[in-house]
Amino acid sequence: MPGRVAVPVFPGTNSEEETVRACLAVGLETRLVHWSAGPKALLGYDAYVLPGGFSYEDRVRAGAIAAHDALMDAVIAQAQRGKLVLGICNGAQILVESGLIPGTGPLRRPTVAFAPNKPNGRFICRHVYVKLSVAPERCAMTATLRPDEIIPMWASHGEGRLAASHDELARLDRAGYIPFRYCDRLGNVTPEAAPNGSALGAAALTNEDGNILGIMPHPERDAWTYQQRDGAVRLAARGDATRMLAPAGGIRLFEGLARALGVRA
Amino acid sequence: MTRCGYAVELAIPDNEAYTALVTLVRLGIPCARLDRADVWIFDVAESAAGDLEAQLRTIETIFNPNKHVLVALPQARPRPGEVWIGERAEGPDQPVGGTQRELQIAGRRLEGVYGVRRYKGWRLWESEARVASAETIAKAVETLLCNPAFQVTIE
Repeated sequence: MPGRVAVPVFPGTNSEEETVRACLAVGLETRLVHWSAGPKALLGYDAYVLPGGFSYEDRVRAGAIAAHDALMDAVIAQAQRGKLVLGICNGAQILVESGLIPGTGPLRRPTVAFAPNKPNGRFICRHVYVKLSVAPERCAMTATLRPDEIIPMWASHGEGRLAASHDELARLDRAGYIPFRYCDRLGNVTPEAAPNGSALGAAALTNEDGNILGIMPHPERDAWTYQQRDGAVRLAARGDATRMLAPAGGIRLFEGLARALGVRA
Repeated sequence: MTRCGYAVELAIPDNEAYTALVTLVRLGIPCARLDRADVWIFDVAESAAGDLEAQLRTIETIFNPNKHVLVALPQARPRPGEVWIGERAEGPDQPVGGTQRELQIAGRRLEGVYGVRRYKGWRLWESEARVASAETIAKAVETLLCNPAFQVTIE
């Protein structure tokens, strides 16, 4: 049966439960796999979702130590076979440090970074909107989204600013490696919409094949109606527990993952 | 104006350095010990240079006497076996603060200080008595210690 998803957990990961809950809600058979279980424990899954947090306390750099963890040997091997990998926040940082996204250089030799936020390097926790900025089919997990779809999420990071050389940024921009950009509620992509000074307003990165997606803001923290910042959405559900607890907003990305695995959410 | 360097080293066990060491060894880098320091390089007026260390010792967010050792560097460049990793400057390579005004660090004005750069210093040892070779340091930088997309190294 397709739809078996592993959520790798490193020391310091802190968003695994919300991530599992969102995966389960869209019909994915989901298991946590702790780093101590070793890379063999990651075999037999159809996809991998690396959750947010502070793997290894962000020692050296965010995601740098986890990218060299034996568990990532398995994720890299499976990703190279075309399996789907979604990284959220610290998970995205790990994917960058492992060289899986954008994948324009050798493995574990990053060509880009999710660098400390600008202007002051401080941790931000802010509600944001991101807009699908490529053709939906560019990335397997966005293939069932609408063109230009806007998804609400929570940005919660100290190091989320896309940084790279001018040449590399131009290449990423040109070749559709940036599937989501920060935008305002109406979908306008402006420098002010990016909470961290990210180059090109980038909120996410994918690889050439589109089977790997790393996104800095958290879709799983804005995945239920009661979490929506849009007052009208919550107001419409007021007094109706079922509607208030229903999936919404950021769950769209998990639905995209499920559909890509052949699971109907 | 003169340039002064200080290394703030941990006097307590350094978990970050330990984790980095374990990872480097796993990657095949011949490293027996790894020391980490918070390195501060100041551009300071000649008249204020003598008081700088005393000023630093009063800024608890830089130097905590319960867990740090403050080392005045003989020269404002890495020591043998050491590499400094800093964030790449955007635009002209100028120290933060430029030369127009005295700096505030952690909300405190540092008298006579007009520029500052901060680095993470990694000092690699091939054995307890011998620092790592330039080749080993370069490997460690390439494989783990530096992300060249936003960082620079000073060796």
